Amino acid sequence: MTALTTALARTEPVAWRKPKRHGGLSAWLFAVPALAVYVVFLVYPALTSLWFSFTDWDGLSPTYNVVGLDNYAAVVQDPVVATAAKNNLVWTVVTLTVPVVMGLALAILLNGKVRGKPILRLIFYTPAVLPLVSIASIWGWLYNPQYGAINEFLRLIGLDALAQPWLGQDSTALAAVMVPAIWLRTGFPMLLYLAALQGIPKELYEAATVDGATRWQQFLFVTMPSLKPAHYIVIALSLIDSFKVFDLIYAMTYGGPGTTTQVMGTWMYANVFQYYNAGYGTAIAVVITVVAIVVSIPYVLSQTREHSR
Amino acid sequence: MTSIAPVAALPEAVVSTGPAAPDTKKPAKGGLVTTAIVAVVALVWIAPLALLVVTAVRPLSDFISTGPLAWPKDFTLSNFADAWRIGNFASTYRNSLILVLLKVPLGVLISAMLAFALAKLRIRFGRVIMFSVFLGLTIPIYITIVPIFIMLRTAGATDSLIGLMGPYLAFGIPFEVLVLQSFFRQVPDEIIEAAKIDGANSWRIFFTIMLPLSAPALVTVGILDAVSTWNELLFALILLNSDNSKTIPVGLLNFQGQFANNNTGLAAGILIAVVPILIAYTLLQRYIVGGLTAGATKG
Repeated sequence: MTALTTALARTEPVAWRKPKRHGGLSAWLFAVPALAVYVVFLVYPALTSLWFSFTDWDGLSPTYNVVGLDNYAAVVQDPVVATAAKNNLVWTVVTLTVPVVMGLALAILLNGKVRGKPILRLIFYTPAVLPLVSIASIWGWLYNPQYGAINEFLRLIGLDALAQPWLGQDSTALAAVMVPAIWLRTGFPMLLYLAALQGIPKELYEAATVDGATRWQQFLFVTMPSLKPAHYIVIALSLIDSFKVFDLIYAMTYGGPGTTTQVMGTWMYANVFQYYNAGYGTAIAVVITVVAIVVSIPYVLSQTREHSR
Repeated sequence: MTSIAPVAALPEAVVSTGPAAPDTKKPAKGGLVTTAIVAVVALVWIAPLALLVVTAVRPLSDFISTGPLAWPKDFTLSNFADAWRIGNFASTYRNSLILVLLKVPLGVLISAMLAFALAKLRIRFGRVIMFSVFLGLTIPIYITIVPIFIMLRTAGATDSLIGLMGPYLAFGIPFEVLVLQSFFRQVPDEIIEAAKIDGANSWRIFFTIMLPLSAPALVTVGILDAVSTWNELLFALILLNSDNSKTIPVGLLNFQGQFANNNTGLAAGILIAVVPILIAYTLLQRYIVGGLTAGATKG
């Protein structure tokens, strides 16, 4: 909060001749439609969920009892929540680092002397525009134990022993769901890094060469520092995004086999719409949302600051 | 809303992005090795989609007898006809299109209005509003799902596309405001001052100066919004239950279950669902890439 207040306090001089004054009623007429929609369909429901999380509501009955923190106590003891939280963490780490590193590597390659740059760029970003359900379908189909292309490929190259039900067994299910996530999330860092790399002045490299810097030193001391804003955006947005994981898991494994691939989002869904524990389900959603908000606040603050300069 | 999410933004440097990339036209001499490496990776990347296309145009019997990786002996288009009919794509397509056509322009308009108030009208509590709206980027959709379901059931708006409009608009607003606000800020105050002296009020300035000057940003935001609206699953899954009101992602989900044993039909169905978005992306990628990368180049 202090950061916010300092951000609020800092006002840069504006090139506006009149003394600073507020826009008054007309400004609000512009703001109200979007703000009303935002409050009614996002802020209010989110706060209502917070309220439900203190009740034993089943999601159907007209009445419910307030049970205080009971749901949260149950969350802490729920072994599936432990699995889900661990999966969320693994998911975040893997689907953040792998796509970012691969995206950076691809961007550096593409920024060199490469032919067919536009088409290559097009290919790498394509998965990102597909509906997650279709990505789940495509990969579910590739993973099919009997007719899937992946097992077929393994058999063709003589690795029959490695052919297995990728999505159907505990040992591989989570990894198998993360592969499509990596497939679809590598394009965005690549695009950002490519744009950032193209913005680095050539003179910096020339100067480094004159000073006798090796390629590796150039990468460490010229490229990486120049990419700082890109790193920041890529990591912040990937992080924010990773908390929202739902569609892929829901459509590929539905949290299974058993509860092996449950994440907070899907476990919340199961509790609300399958077991009719709306109070408990919303408590799970509240937990993950609070974590997401806390982690993202520095990014939101920096955006607010930048946008008010 | 979904994962392409967006991003990004902060097109602070958009205006100056141009001259930075003077793609040298020198014939790439040492580029063959790099090109080969990237091409191999690209091949792996596109393989699932390529395989999908090949599978969609072969008969099921051919697929089963020679396996998923063999080059087809026969080609057919009947998978598409089957998938189209059984997957009820006529109605899911219609519904998704209606949603996008209603939601995107309206969402961009109200977001642009708010962004204008924040960027140029010195609205009171501007920074608090911005902070609260940007915070929306971080809120997972699923925390709102129960109250929204109840709200819409009370209003009798479940199972209707109109019912989806509210939540879809709300979850689109943070990103749209983020991007549009930075574009609007770059419009010089002098232009607005001059218009004011000529007697233009805020609405006139908004519609005749801000929007036309920010057309590229509006297009980018509109496209990204259309993609996430087209792809959204969770709200649609919970709020729509009759077959006639389902959208593409929900329809595809059901379809996936029905076609579990018909691999070629499933491939055709998936293609039917993604082709419009692939075409739109290929044609409009310039705007998408520009919008997504705008923030990366400053500093």
